[in-house]
Parts: sequence; C-alpha cells; structure tokens
Amino acid sequence: MNKIKYLLISFSLFTLHARAQEADSLLKALDSGGVATTVDAAFKSTHVVLSHSSETQKKHDLDLRIRHHFGDIGGRFGSAHTLYGLDVATDLFIGLDYGVTDDFTVAIGRSKQDELFNFSGKYKLLKQKSNSSMPINMTLFAQLGWIAREPFNDGEFGQYSDRFSYFFQSIISRKFSSRLSLEVMPGFLVRNNIEDSGDSKNLFSLGFAGRMKITKRLSFIADYTVVNGLSRPKDLTETYYNPFGVGLEIETGGHIFSLNFMNSEYIVENNFIPNTKKSWSKGGVRFGFTISRNFTLFKSKNQDPDKKSKIY
Amino acid sequence: MLLHFSAGAQNFVSKNIRIGLFSSTPLEDIRAVSDNGNAVLVAKTREIVVQLAVKTLEFDRKLMQEHFNENYIESDKYPYAKFKGVIDQPVDFTKDGNYAVTVTGILSVHGVDKKRTIPGKVTVTNGVVQISTEFKVACVDHDIKIPKLVFTKIAEFITIKAEGKFNSLK
Repeated sequence: MNKIKYLLISFSLFTLHARAQEADSLLKALDSGGVATTVDAAFKSTHVVLSHSSETQKKHDLDLRIRHHFGDIGGRFGSAHTLYGLDVATDLFIGLDYGVTDDFTVAIGRSKQDELFNFSGKYKLLKQKSNSSMPINMTLFAQLGWIAREPFNDGEFGQYSDRFSYFFQSIISRKFSSRLSLEVMPGFLVRNNIEDSGDSKNLFSLGFAGRMKITKRLSFIADYTVVNGLSRPKDLTETYYNPFGVGLEIETGGHIFSLNFMNSEYIVENNFIPNTKKSWSKGGVRFGFTISRNFTLFKSKNQDPDKKSKIY
Repeated sequence: MLLHFSAGAQNFVSKNIRIGLFSSTPLEDIRAVSDNGNAVLVAKTREIVVQLAVKTLEFDRKLMQEHFNENYIESDKYPYAKFKGVIDQPVDFTKDGNYAVTVTGILSVHGVDKKRTIPGKVTVTNGVVQISTEFKVACVDHDIKIPKLVFTKIAEFITIKAEGKFNSLK
C-alpha cells in the first residue's frame, strides 16, 4: 500500500514537473530574441564632486544647481578665526543644465571667481549595454569660459579674446555593478589668461572619478584630476596642486545634495584645473556643498493615458 | 515534442501583453506601461505564465523611470516580474466565450515570491484567446521600501493591469 502511495506521489510530482517545464521552456523560447538593454544611471547626477559625470539631463528636464566652496579648514586662513573656513566663500556657483534630448545637454553657469560665465554642451555618444556589445559610456563635453570681471591691471585682457577659455573632455565611464561606477576623463584646456607667466596656455588633464553606493540613495563620491606632470611646465613660481574631492551624495527623488571636501578653491573646470593652489596636506582642504533640483519643463506629448502622471 | 503538441495539447503564447502600473496618492498619480510582456498559456493544464522585463516599463518622466528602476524595483538585480499560476475554473479554449476566472499561483516581484489568487477574464473569439486582469500589489509584500521623505508621493498599494491577445502554437 505504501509503495503504491509512493509511486502515485512520485508520478504526480513527475507530471507536475513536466508541466512546469513545458510552460517555462515556452517562455524561455519567447525570451530568446531579447535585445540588450542599456545600463542606465552610472551616476545619479551630471556631476561627481568637482568633475562632470558621464550622465546627461533627461529630455526637457532642467537642473538648477547651486554650489558653494568655503575657505581653508586649517592653515593660515583657517582654524577657529574663520570658523574653519565657513566665514569664507572661495567660490560660489549657480547653474542651469537643460536636456535638449536625452543625450544632449546644454548648460549655463556663473561663478564668483573671475565672475566667470560658463556655457557648455554635453553629448552622450556611447551607452553601456547589458551584454558585452558596449562595455562603456562615453560622453563628450565642451565648455566655454568667459571672464567678466574688470582687469586687475592695464595689461590684463589686452585683447578681448583673452577673457575666453575653452575646455574639451571625453568622459568614459562604466557601471561595474549597481553599486560601483568608475570613470576616466582625458581633457584639454586652452586659455589666454594665465596667472604665472611661465605656465602653459594649453593644459592636458586626466581625471578619475568614482561612485560607491552605500544605500540606494546615499553614495560616496570622489574625483581626482591630474594636471601637474602632464603638459604643465615644472619650473613655475606659483605652486599648483591637482584637484581632489570626496563627498557624500544624497538623492531624494528630484533633489540631489552633496556634502564635499576638496582642496580646490574653485568650482568650474576652466578655473579648478589650472588654478588650484591649495593642498590637502597643508590645511588647504575645504568644505563645499551642491544642491541640485530637477524640474520637468514640458509635459511629454505622449497622449497614452496609461502613461500619464499627474501632480496635484 | 512536435508530436505531443499536435496531439491536441494546444499552447498559446504572446510577446506583447500590455502591462501597466498605477500609483495614486493625493499628491501625485503615477502611471507606467509596457507592451512587451511575454506570456504562455498551456490549454491542457490551464497553466499560465506572464513575465515582464521591468525595464521596459515606460513613464512619461524619464527621471521617474530611472528612480523606479534604481531605487524601488532594482531592475539590475531583479530584471523580471513574473506571475505563474493555474486557472482555477475550467475553460474551453476551442469554443467562443467569456470566462470570469481566478488564477492561483506565485507572483514574483523584486525577488520576493508571494502566493496570490488573481481575478481575471479569459475571452475566446474565433479561436483567439485574450486575457485581462487588474489587481493590487502591496509594496511591503515585495520588500519595496518607500522612504519617509517621499512617502506621500507613492502609494502603498500599486494597481497592476495586464491585457493581451495570444497566438496559438500548433
């Protein structure tokens, strides 16, 4: 009796299994023609700490970005006399980034330092794919800097074009896992206004940046840009340092806040790449923050009622 | 296998089941839809499987779509949502008719399996089988956390709708 029961059970298990296999194998066959999807959101934001990330704005989204770099925490200009730099603002920045399409972003910004206006375009050329057909993202970035301040002396800005600087960068990133993304950024800066007469007008730079998620909404971010040791002359009267920033990035759905520490006094590439004169080792590190708020400017023209979102 | 199929065990498949989600709160209504749901229906056993690559869900705001994938459904880790069950009532797929049915099975979303009995409709018209359903999913059942900061914008229960036509496999 027991044997029959056992047989019956095993038989019914077998048929159940066979059935399950039939549906599953059919489903698998359906799925086999699946296309590779893009690996999105290597970074949460268009910026890391100082540098740009490979991300662009979504179509018709406008990002209002307010950035602040305080004074030196330590050293001659820091300590309790300036409340560890909080009394000082070495640079302030307000900028708008607008997504013309999902892949092309235009931006305008203005910094306190040099009263610098920046105009930039950013184009996402390559997108990482879930299969091995495309292992990286590649974004091209170009930025015009325009110094709007009065000249410090008569000789400065002899020609109006001396106020302009041009920065070109290609940003190559990869999202290694849902937590870890890394990027490399070779760049080239052309400028006419140099602080140290021995310095080169054309500077190569090589940036590295990364994002490590701690939770879904909180990430550790860092970037480092090599400027010294590339095309820059060695015998300068002024001592320049490579910009290095670390921070915590908090995303709350539409807002991104980041709390940063960095040695660079300045915010925009055209300033921080050539002119960083503070060092992490000599009290030159400072606190800074970024507030970014995203606005959707135009409702999508998609009339599909199943896709419509509505804010009351 | 071929012999087996032709011996009367009819199967139905579809690659374009329309699957939508709807979250409603006093602050914001959010909808998303995909036309890329895959489904299999085995007539003999009344077994039905519907599977969706969650990344194919489209929102009218792309940033919302990114947040959905990154923060809530975690589509990198859990790329598919799936329901696999058996129709509880007998259905004659060879004759035209409307059947109000329930399907009992496992709903897998965000890596969490839940046993569910879901109401739906099966319609057979000129040999074409169509299904439709609407049911609610509690975020908490599938370990989808809504942080306090954005709590009021996203409903605790999400309405899921699915509908589509099958092609018969002979």
